[in-house]
Amino acid sequence: MQGVQQAQKGSSGSVVATLSGRRPQGEVLDEYEAEFRRCYTRWMEILYRNAERLARGQFSLHWMDTTQAHWGPRAKPSSRGLLYADINRLPGYGELPEVASWLNFAPRGSVRECYRQDMPEVDDYTVLERDEVWAENVMALYEEAKARQWNATRDIPWHELKPLSEDLEKATCQLCTGLTEVEFVAGDFPAKWMYRIPQDYLEVKSFLSTQIMDEARHQEVFRKRALAGGGLLHSSPGAEWALKAILDAPTHTMGTFLLNLLAEGLVLSVFRSGEMIAKTHVDKEIFRRCLQDEARHVSYGVLQFQWWLDHQPERVEAEEMLHRFADVGEQVILTAFTEPTLVEPIAILLGGGLQKIDAGMEGMMRVWSMFIHEYLQRCERAGFHRRPRCVLPMEAPWRVAA
Amino acid sequence: MMLHKWQGDSPQSESFSTAVFPSVRWFELLAAEANGQRSRFEHLGYMDCVAEFCVTDVQPIPFVVQVTFEEFGVVDVRIPAANDRDRADFRVEGPLASWRGMLESIARNEGRPDLEQTLNYLTHMGTPMRVTSEDPVRRDLYFRYAQSLQEFFNGSARICTRFAA
Repeated sequence: MQGVQQAQKGSSGSVVATLSGRRPQGEVLDEYEAEFRRCYTRWMEILYRNAERLARGQFSLHWMDTTQAHWGPRAKPSSRGLLYADINRLPGYGELPEVASWLNFAPRGSVRECYRQDMPEVDDYTVLERDEVWAENVMALYEEAKARQWNATRDIPWHELKPLSEDLEKATCQLCTGLTEVEFVAGDFPAKWMYRIPQDYLEVKSFLSTQIMDEARHQEVFRKRALAGGGLLHSSPGAEWALKAILDAPTHTMGTFLLNLLAEGLVLSVFRSGEMIAKTHVDKEIFRRCLQDEARHVSYGVLQFQWWLDHQPERVEAEEMLHRFADVGEQVILTAFTEPTLVEPIAILLGGGLQKIDAGMEGMMRVWSMFIHEYLQRCERAGFHRRPRCVLPMEAPWRVAA
Repeated sequence: MMLHKWQGDSPQSESFSTAVFPSVRWFELLAAEANGQRSRFEHLGYMDCVAEFCVTDVQPIPFVVQVTFEEFGVVDVRIPAANDRDRADFRVEGPLASWRGMLESIARNEGRPDLEQTLNYLTHMGTPMRVTSEDPVRRDLYFRYAQSLQEFFNGSARICTRFAA
């Protein structure tokens, strides 16, 4: 309590949250000041130069010199507006470097080489290889994501929501509790990596920002649905381990494989099931809207993974690394998707009530087989031959009661 | 048949057009209905795909039609030629009884199917209808545009549909 009060006062001795953990505020500020003082001459020279010019009442119009610029050709919109694809067709703007060397905010295609020595570098930009982030469909997905945004407050016919029987309502609210729990990792993972990606891969950063927005909306809509139906129910330790495995993935491509291709592929199946088993038009609409977003994320995951594999000079070794990663990832994901807080509510909804949970489990077996089939199909599409190594059970890991 | 991409938000005619399902004419009417609801489809967002719809058990051969969606509307409805099959990103297929059940439900509820008659409900388990594609990325377009595709068929409430025997 005392610590909280100190932090609120902002005293120099208080412990505050930083990106490297909780530390004394005064200490982290000392480091920040020291860093900028260390580079003092570099930015202060710029300031002096500017101050002198302004004091002399002189203008500098060097920025009108287009000698080194890609000045001239004008971007033309296509039928649906001015797309990234349209502006990237102009010479000098659309070429993505295989390895990013601009570790600051200078825009790709601007006149920047002559200023390189005067510019700082951002140490946090660590994902420098294009092949770790690029996907052939990323620009199209970005445009689609913007165009297909929806509003969880306004676009769901909340006023039509009517109470269900207690078992169905609790199953619905438990499913929504679980989905609320898992949705934000799909925002936190891209957020964690987005600020590690240099600006030259701006199209990827743009798409990731839409994924973050999508996941915020999913978390919002499932939380609202639960609270409109009685409340949140139980959180899930198994889901937590899966989410941690995603968030802690050692590389962007590995994490994208685990999150977008595997986990979101599975969640896409859950959403499709959710639409199918929905007992109200409100729930139908929620799941149908969410599954559209999820399918975009899956598409990025498949084609990003494919791009990465196709550009590995040591393909066999790269695939082996991914197999090692998938061996862990699949098992941890399985932990989440065998949790009673997820399986049983879906089975109750599939069956049509608590008394029909066995029938629901039969339906779940079909959903499981379908999911595994689609997961392995997506791996194949990416060029990753996972079928012989897959540690997920081909058939649902439960038996139907006799 | 090539269609005008969209015709603006025209006031809907009170008299419904009549067509037999399945037929190209019926899908053309549905496309025109969708193109007349541009603001609705704009709100849902871009939809770029070629969807193939198949009624599997009509005689003498299954009925197959390809509908090309672009931006916020339909630009083409056609019976695919033999070399057109790869144009389709995905195929939605099912027996006439299932299609009929969905369309009658939509008509009965004035544009919104019963809970057990949505496209996703009918296709999710692979029975009575199913979605197929050679390419999972192209198949996923069916999911990416799920709401728009449902709204597309919801427009059939404004068509007076007669069913093939």
